[in-house]
Amino acid sequence: MELREFFDRDAISLDLKGETKDEILKELIGLLGVDEKSEAILFKMLRRRENLGSTGIGRGIAIPHCRSLVVNRLRVAFGRKSNGIDFQAIDNNPVHYFFLIVAPPLEVSNQYLPVLGKVAQFAKEPDVPSRLAEIQTPDEFLNLLAEKAI
Amino acid sequence: MHPQLEILLQIQDLKAQRRDLAEVESERKVEEEEFQIDPEQAIQSIDEKIAELEGELTPSVRSRYERISRDRGRAVVPVINGICYGCFVSIPTSLASDVRRNDEVHHCDHCGRFIYVVS
Repeated sequence: MELREFFDRDAISLDLKGETKDEILKELIGLLGVDEKSEAILFKMLRRRENLGSTGIGRGIAIPHCRSLVVNRLRVAFGRKSNGIDFQAIDNNPVHYFFLIVAPPLEVSNQYLPVLGKVAQFAKEPDVPSRLAEIQTPDEFLNLLAEKAI
Repeated sequence: MHPQLEILLQIQDLKAQRRDLAEVESERKVEEEEFQIDPEQAIQSIDEKIAELEGELTPSVRSRYERISRDRGRAVVPVINGICYGCFVSIPTSLASDVRRNDEVHHCDHCGRFIYVVS
């Protein structure tokens, strides 16, 4: 399956409001539409993962990710913060684009790692940061994913 | 959600994270190469957090958790469509109804694992 097939329009925000790492993580989790308690558990897991080392891989892109029992299938979300925030990224530059990936500990189709790899590959495409800056609608984001055919 | 169930879910999530780092070579490689994580240091940090959370379990919950973890591996499993995803046996309808709210700590009558329902 290509990356495009994992994303829903509802889980895309091109105007994240958060100004801190925690606020952005909470906003991204909110895009998944899980209940409040599950949101809280996901936040703790993602925060702990960030404490092991930032998921900001450079070039303005971060890929917060974790496994959690509070989801029953792979869930992904995308968020953009035009001004960027300090996410303690590897290159120390502000992060503007966030790909959230959450999966249950045991998956029948085992998609978590392949999707994580595909997002990392997508992020390395030379034109991706500038293209992500230009998109105006969730459909344009989905079209970009489809165009890259990763 | 019952506070003890919430702790159990967090412990199980951390154990999944630890398993990926310690046992899944491809996952370990991604974390090392893409995110520049030191897996050994990360595992140590995860172990410390697991121990801290285990200390927050009540004696009765901890006793079952330790026994099930030792005997069956995963101590906490979801119930999906009325099936315990630890032993794949149907749970009684009356229990399924109670579990759905996740506001008490329940276990599967068949395998003994803690069970919960994903919203």
